[in-house]
Amino acid sequence: MAKPTLTSEMKKGSAELLILAILEDGQRHGYEIARQIERRSRGAISFHVASLYPMLYRLEARSLIEGRWVEKAGQRRRRYYRLTTEGTEVLAAQRSLWQEFFVGINRVARLRTTST
Amino acid sequence: MKAPDWRGIVRASLRQITGDPAHDEEIAEELAQDLAERFDDYVARGMSKDRALELAIAELAEPGTLARSLRDSARPRRMAPVPPTMGGKPSMWSDLVMDLKYGARVLLRSRGFAMAAILTLAIGIGATTSIFSVVNAVLLRPVPFTDMDRLAMVWETDRNTGTYREPASLPDVLDLQQRSRQFSSFATFAPAERTITPPGGEPMRVPILFGSRELLPLLGIRPSPGHVFTNAEDSPGGPRVALISDRLWARQFQRAPDVVGRTIRLNDIETTIVGVVPAEADFGTMQILRSAAYGRGFADRDLRSRVDVWLPLQGDPRTLVRDTHPLLVLGRLAPGATVASAQEELTKIMAELEAAYPSNAARGAFIESLSDVVFSRVRGTLWVLLAAVGFVLLIACVNVANLLLARGAGRLREVAVRTAMGAPLPRLVRQFAAENLVLAAVSAVLGVVLAILSLRLLVSLAPADIPRIADVRVDGIVLSVAMGLALVTGLAFGVVPAVQARRADLQGALKADDSRGATAGRERSLLRSTLVISEVALAVVLLVGAGLLVKSAWRLSQVDTGYRADHVMKAEFQLPGSRYPAVGAQWPNFVEIHRFNDDLLRKVTALPGVEGAAIVGNHPVDPGSQNSWRVVGREAEGQNWPEVSIRRVSSGYFETVQLPVRAGRAFEERDGPTDPTVSIINEALAKRFFEGHEPLGQQIRLWGSARTIVGVVKDERILGLSHEAPPLIYLPFRQAPSFNGAEALLVRASAGTSTLGASLRGAVVQLDPRLAVFGVQPLSATVGDSVAQQRFVMLLLIAFAGVAIVLAAIGIHGVLSYTVAQRRHELGIRVALGATPERVTGLVLGQGARLTVAGLAIGVLAALALTRVLATQLYGVSTTDLTAFAAVIPVLGAVALLATWLPARRAVRLDPLEAMRD
Repeated sequence: MAKPTLTSEMKKGSAELLILAILEDGQRHGYEIARQIERRSRGAISFHVASLYPMLYRLEARSLIEGRWVEKAGQRRRRYYRLTTEGTEVLAAQRSLWQEFFVGINRVARLRTTST
Repeated sequence: MKAPDWRGIVRASLRQITGDPAHDEEIAEELAQDLAERFDDYVARGMSKDRALELAIAELAEPGTLARSLRDSARPRRMAPVPPTMGGKPSMWSDLVMDLKYGARVLLRSRGFAMAAILTLAIGIGATTSIFSVVNAVLLRPVPFTDMDRLAMVWETDRNTGTYREPASLPDVLDLQQRSRQFSSFATFAPAERTITPPGGEPMRVPILFGSRELLPLLGIRPSPGHVFTNAEDSPGGPRVALISDRLWARQFQRAPDVVGRTIRLNDIETTIVGVVPAEADFGTMQILRSAAYGRGFADRDLRSRVDVWLPLQGDPRTLVRDTHPLLVLGRLAPGATVASAQEELTKIMAELEAAYPSNAARGAFIESLSDVVFSRVRGTLWVLLAAVGFVLLIACVNVANLLLARGAGRLREVAVRTAMGAPLPRLVRQFAAENLVLAAVSAVLGVVLAILSLRLLVSLAPADIPRIADVRVDGIVLSVAMGLALVTGLAFGVVPAVQARRADLQGALKADDSRGATAGRERSLLRSTLVISEVALAVVLLVGAGLLVKSAWRLSQVDTGYRADHVMKAEFQLPGSRYPAVGAQWPNFVEIHRFNDDLLRKVTALPGVEGAAIVGNHPVDPGSQNSWRVVGREAEGQNWPEVSIRRVSSGYFETVQLPVRAGRAFEERDGPTDPTVSIINEALAKRFFEGHEPLGQQIRLWGSARTIVGVVKDERILGLSHEAPPLIYLPFRQAPSFNGAEALLVRASAGTSTLGASLRGAVVQLDPRLAVFGVQPLSATVGDSVAQQRFVMLLLIAFAGVAIVLAAIGIHGVLSYTVAQRRHELGIRVALGATPERVTGLVLGQGARLTVAGLAIGVLAALALTRVLATQLYGVSTTDLTAFAAVIPVLGAVALLATWLPARRAVRLDPLEAMRD
């Protein structure tokens, strides 16, 4: 078997968690979110336009995040996303779920955790 | 290199995204900025501009796919309905309008739910309304004449035959009139048929009623225009006058106001019209006639007949002597009298008459309230149907309650958020109520449409002996009751979430995704399971009922009728005395009648494909008339023998209906009017009256002649499929023609019967163009009509059971889908932790099975108690028939399995990651 494909399937499953987590720190626009994820995962996870924006719109439709146009002096207007109250709730719930899941998987597959 | 026009690039790749130009512009703008920044980043990292441009554009991947996924994600961005605000000046009206608008928008957003709920309710409302409209029109609506409860039928009884609903003799009625104090008045009537020949039109056959002058006044029916029969008109030898029906007035005279005084031709006799009987004056003629032991007239032939002409009885005791019993008697109870007191009095009077006249031997009286006579036949049936349809409505309501509860669970969060924002409970309740009001209103409109359509279908399918069936209309009151019920269901279960969420821990509801873990959720799922169990139980009851009726119908279809109706065509006509004289002195040698019959048979047997033909007085489904009889040499013994049915048939009869001759011979050409008189008996008669004797060669004394028994034939069920054949005597038509000229032609053809009807009609009309040919239909259809009521009830119950089981399946499916959704993350973990698909399926199927088995058990118990009401509808099947009960299990099992399977499959296919994420 070739190199395990961590990419598509797993990313799809976790994308929501990642985006919500990034927005926890404050509002960001689309590309910033992608950049943050890439940076924090040390390049392991990257988001392309084709997957990022559909996901953002989906989250917005579920009112977990909220996008709005912000104009700053001397800049083009940009669409910033921030977490809604509901989004905060869901993020908390997802965190504990993933925690549970990882613990479960770890018990079974004995992953080695590296410090973050 | 100039900075690329990113927006242009995006717009060029993604021409259309959502279809909303403004929205598309915004998306393009956002993507363009992203690409611009990526480009800048690449360049800043030292990439060539060309390479950077290439990579940035590559971000758009396949533009078609991207556009689609953007559209799919962005679609729900369409503004979610904003709940009406709580602030501002409260105004009942504008708040209500706002609530309704919001409700409509909420429903539009969840179309699947709305459609399921609306369809379910509409079916419930529609079915209930149409059946209840029938019940209401037939049983509940006041009858069109005065004090029906004071009217009673006065029957004569015959201890010899055990019959107790016999018509009376005129002298008896006159004596009763004179002696009775318990009745204030009597009226008599008798059915007959006449051929009307309109000037220049086709002759047609109409049911008529001979009635004494007291009849219409007794019922409180007033002709308009015109008047009831006068004393002079209703005297022996009185003038030829008639009352006509409103229908005939419209059809024949275009409602001309001067119709009184004009004439119609009845059996070629000019008759003066003296009045028009209003349309709704039917006092249950068909039901009374059908109840009579004999003398049922047209009621035996066509159940949908409606009386078109009333003629004065002009009863003359010199011709209508004491031992002929042609008259149906209706009495009005005197003030203070009851059916019981009248019964007592008439029993005494009849005993006096019995003592005074030998011909009254063994005769008594039987008093029965008119409403019992008219409605008893259908009352049970209709209440059964009403109960069944009530079950359907109940199931529909349960289903909607279920749907609403499931939905309510999904909306806990909405309620919690809004409560947190300070919405007062009454406000929330009112808004949920408004939403359900919209739901109920839409369902109601659809329900009305369904009711109108199904009622039309119902009336056309209904057996014609249901009284007043033709007057059935969709009933406003009924409709409001059904809609009210739907509304109450909607409101009651629709506001449950609002109230429950209030009770539930607000924090919990907000925190938890869906209603997972909330106690309210548990309570609700218990309630939902209970609802599904009751739904299944109700469906089981209906299924068992339908099963019993199907088995009964199957039993009826398996009955050996003796005769074979398939490939036999029937046509009826009556030879009028004016052209076909039937003079007593010449009987049985009615030359014109026999000549016509011979000619007709010759003509018909020459038709292509015809294998046999016969002329009969009564076809096999027509019970005909009864007569007393004796066996020559055993007169004393026969003193107390009951009357038996007499059948006049031409020589080809037994062959045409393929009734086997068991001993001796069939009638033959040699049995003519002047030849030695002969007869044939059936096995029932042979068994009952010739036990230990050889019937062949014995003589029967009947209608003035001793008739040698030349054959014994198999029994034929002339009283209907569900009744054993009575003892019968067959006479050759040519040795016993009827005086009234009424005949039926039966023809067996090899090649189906589709065009045969027209040929038969043609053959009759060729011989005599002025004859009205009626009752032209395959004999099998006539047989089918005789079980119309059973068939009607069966079809309806099957329909109801079908609807019930579909609704129950929706219910099971709904609850399990909900459970699967609710347990998504649990199931997801199970799958992630290695639960096999079988195990997961088993979990869901297990829950489905528990609901089904519980419903089944309760339903079977309920059915055991309830199917008893079907007893009168069943033939050859007990109400606790094991196979009917057992058959329900696989049917319900299969449906339940299917309803369970879909959610179970969904559970198996759960993507653990996704499941745990949600």
